[in-house]
Amino acid sequence: MNKENISARVTEIERFSVHDGPGIRTVVFLKGCPLNCAWCHNPECISFEKQTLVYTEKCIGCGKCDQGCYSGARVECGKEMTVDQVMEEVLQDQIYYGEHGGLTISGGEPLAHREFTMALIRACREKNIKVGIETSLYRFDEELLSSLDLIMADMKIFDCDIHRKWVGVGNEEIKNNLCRANELGIPMIVRTPVICGINDNTENVKRTAEFLRELKNVTSYELLPYHPLGVSKAEALGIKQTEFKTPSQSQMEELNKYADISRQT
Amino acid sequence: MLTYQDRLDAMRRTKIEHTLAKKEQNGYTDLDDFGTVPLPEDYYVEPWYNSENGSFYGLEGMSENFCRVMAAHPAYVDPMEMLCGRWRDMLVNYRGDIHYLPNWIKKNEKLYNFIASGATAQWSKRWDEKRFPYDDLKPLQKKYNIQTGIDGDAHFACDYRIGLELGFGGLLDKIEKYRKINTDKKDFYDAEERCVRAIIDFIDRHIEKIREMIPLEDRPEIKETLLKMLSVCENIRLGAPKTFHEACQWVSFFNCAARVFTRDGAGFQLDTILYPYYENDIKSGELDDERAKFLIANLLLIDPHYYQISGVDAEDRDLTNHLSYLILDAADSINISCNLTVRVHENCDQSFLHRAVEYLFKNKNGWPRFCGDKNLCEGYMRNGVDKQTARERIAVGCNWMCVPGKEFPMNDTVKINVAKVLEVALEEMKNENERSAEYLYSIFEKHLKKAIEVTAAGVNHHLDHVHDVTPELIMNLMFTGSIEKGLDASQCAELFTVGVDGAGLAVVADSFGAISTRIEEEKALSWDQLYEALESDFADERIRLMLNSSPKYCHGNTVSDEWAKRLTKTWTKLVKAQKMPNGRQLVPGWFSWARSIEYGSTVGAMPNGRKAYEPISHGANPNPHFRVDGAVTAQSNGIASVQCGYGNTAPLQIEFDPKITMEQGGVDIVLDFIKAHIASGGTLININILDSERLMEAHKDPTLHPDLVVRVTGFTAYFASLSPKFRQLVVDRFLEGM
Repeated sequence: MNKENISARVTEIERFSVHDGPGIRTVVFLKGCPLNCAWCHNPECISFEKQTLVYTEKCIGCGKCDQGCYSGARVECGKEMTVDQVMEEVLQDQIYYGEHGGLTISGGEPLAHREFTMALIRACREKNIKVGIETSLYRFDEELLSSLDLIMADMKIFDCDIHRKWVGVGNEEIKNNLCRANELGIPMIVRTPVICGINDNTENVKRTAEFLRELKNVTSYELLPYHPLGVSKAEALGIKQTEFKTPSQSQMEELNKYADISRQT
Repeated sequence: MLTYQDRLDAMRRTKIEHTLAKKEQNGYTDLDDFGTVPLPEDYYVEPWYNSENGSFYGLEGMSENFCRVMAAHPAYVDPMEMLCGRWRDMLVNYRGDIHYLPNWIKKNEKLYNFIASGATAQWSKRWDEKRFPYDDLKPLQKKYNIQTGIDGDAHFACDYRIGLELGFGGLLDKIEKYRKINTDKKDFYDAEERCVRAIIDFIDRHIEKIREMIPLEDRPEIKETLLKMLSVCENIRLGAPKTFHEACQWVSFFNCAARVFTRDGAGFQLDTILYPYYENDIKSGELDDERAKFLIANLLLIDPHYYQISGVDAEDRDLTNHLSYLILDAADSINISCNLTVRVHENCDQSFLHRAVEYLFKNKNGWPRFCGDKNLCEGYMRNGVDKQTARERIAVGCNWMCVPGKEFPMNDTVKINVAKVLEVALEEMKNENERSAEYLYSIFEKHLKKAIEVTAAGVNHHLDHVHDVTPELIMNLMFTGSIEKGLDASQCAELFTVGVDGAGLAVVADSFGAISTRIEEEKALSWDQLYEALESDFADERIRLMLNSSPKYCHGNTVSDEWAKRLTKTWTKLVKAQKMPNGRQLVPGWFSWARSIEYGSTVGAMPNGRKAYEPISHGANPNPHFRVDGAVTAQSNGIASVQCGYGNTAPLQIEFDPKITMEQGGVDIVLDFIKAHIASGGTLININILDSERLMEAHKDPTLHPDLVVRVTGFTAYFASLSPKFRQLVVDRFLEGM
């Protein structure tokens, strides 16, 4: 098989994204992730298999589900796409990327789709498109990571036990991988999703910031307020997801005071 | 002591009061704000009718009634301001039938009875149908839902350099000079002279009022303003303006007069035309930047005309100057419904462009907007126009451009509802043996050609006679050759490049796309099922959803995107191929103005799943839900691909909350987006960056945010003044971009 024609399951390609890296970006969401965060806002990206999201409120009761649903009540999720097919969409927005924008490979976990992700990065390189990745860094892949322009990684919870409780795995490997990624010399953005009752304490933010301050290629540390977007999608997948409280603006402002990683020069 | 900022704040407060008072007086207004002020309770005009059908026409009718309305206008002097004069009423109010009168006339029993007494069943009395009937054109105009341009507003632009050089006294001298040469044009020169004298009288009443106010004023800085205002008005009542202040005041008075006459007129290249005055006054010490900014802010408050700034000249050299920056800063300081257009060209000062986007972000009030200098200029040259002239063509209307003082384009007054044309084609194919997308398109093309032919006939009818119906007595004064030849602008223009816009592009493209996809490719639906669905207005909702969920125009590389491009090619070819007499030619574009609701009300169910009589698509924009992510980049690509390429526009109309702040790099993102759209071939970007919370609050209760300005189509308007259905239109478009 032609390497550029290898495929992966894609849940969505979002254009004109301004929150998944700098500038105007296209984000490709790949299906499948080894983690299982309780607050995941893309629960349809956890399973590696094709799934159907069912929104009963959109059903018109035509009784013709088997002939195709046009109402949006049944949405097939996880279209198998080749690199060429993804690139066809990515190239449509190339003119908007400017100096800073480009492609962000997200998911799910892009590192869990190694061959496809590598091929996609190569295809972008040929077209002079910058590529970033959103990863949990639960795995480390030097060849892949070193071929990127930007690494966006999560440090969800600093305490290892609490991390294991809510994410399903410990964070030793993630911390270790953050340090290794830092050695690659590629700019990194590290983010913490702020979940009330779990990691919305100054101690967690403070310790994370202290840790990141030592990693000279981490250019910014961002706190992202929890968004209950995943709850309705999980429900459509037939999964019960806990809805957490959204942190208030004042709470975010307070936590942000501890998220400063500026270093003395 | 009051500072400039104190005074600007006071002016903004007064503006908000006026907006609310005008809403009380006139009801909702789905139009530009125009800078009008509320009418006094005792305002009254007795119109003079010179036609049997109860209206007035021609040189005598227009000049007499202009004088009456101008004479009735009270002087407007706000001591917080530095410029004076406002308009409130226009001649067209006395030429419509009783069903189309503004509320304030209906409430004025005496005036209402007077107008109603001469009323006929005729829809509008703006056109003299008795003398210039066009009954032969009406059946096809109705069949294809054509906005004919006959009796339309005077959409062209003046060359302000002519008036600023001569002043009103100089204009009177010019009239006198050519009266002696063109002795057979006595009526023309009489009418022109009466109009100029009415403007001078209007100025004189301001002088009188200022004189009354001076002794009563005890704040020294305001007294000084009034004294200055007095000397400026005295200098320009006859003399040509010599200073920056005088030039601004002269423009304000002229604009009042042009608006009263036919509501029209248009702005100009503000930074270039006013720069010599600015430069001189700065050198002489007469002016400083703070005062210049205040005067510009005042000028923008008096009338939110379409002014253009920045851009390049015929040699592609940057026109941006220090005044360009001051104009942006001035607009920011007053922050009202400013219709400023920034010309974008790769040779322009890029930091100026950055500043312009900063203000778009900062104020979230729909200004400025952006046009693509290179694409517009090169496109217009394809009509056989030289580069110098094409570069002079400026953005002075919702979607339209004009060469000031040289072109009579009727832009934005002539439109064909292509969705209606498709309805006619569908009806014709219904009982045929052959049914296919290709065959339907061939029938559609045949009817489109007919629609363009009848549109051209209407345009020619208007151009042949409008000088006898509505001679442009005010704008003639600054139109090349008009006074010299004793001819109306509609007769003596150097360029008759008449804009014809198609409306309903996305409905037609998506309809063909849905047919290609569901009937021909997937065979999920038969033609009989489609016709049954259309006739029953989609009694079967599943069929409607099947059609409506077909890949849409602007999704990106879809079958409907291809149909949109093909439709544009056909539209452009047919419009350009239409033969016109006397050097006239038609110029294609895509634009519906704010008429998408009205046009939709004439069209039944469409194959794209649009239900009967729902609004058609807006301008060149896609239909709702064109993509799940609503990506403006995809929309931009689609619209860049349907440009007709002859200098008229297919605007990109976007409303969005970029969900990113200025501090987070939002300005650079929007700037990249604007530049990319123009680099892709885009011509005009009408943009609203909105605060979703503020918009939704205002939608619920408009009085909560009376200063919220939105760009409805090409024009900006106070959200609170819009009718509920137009507010909904803006909100729906905004939600699409979320």
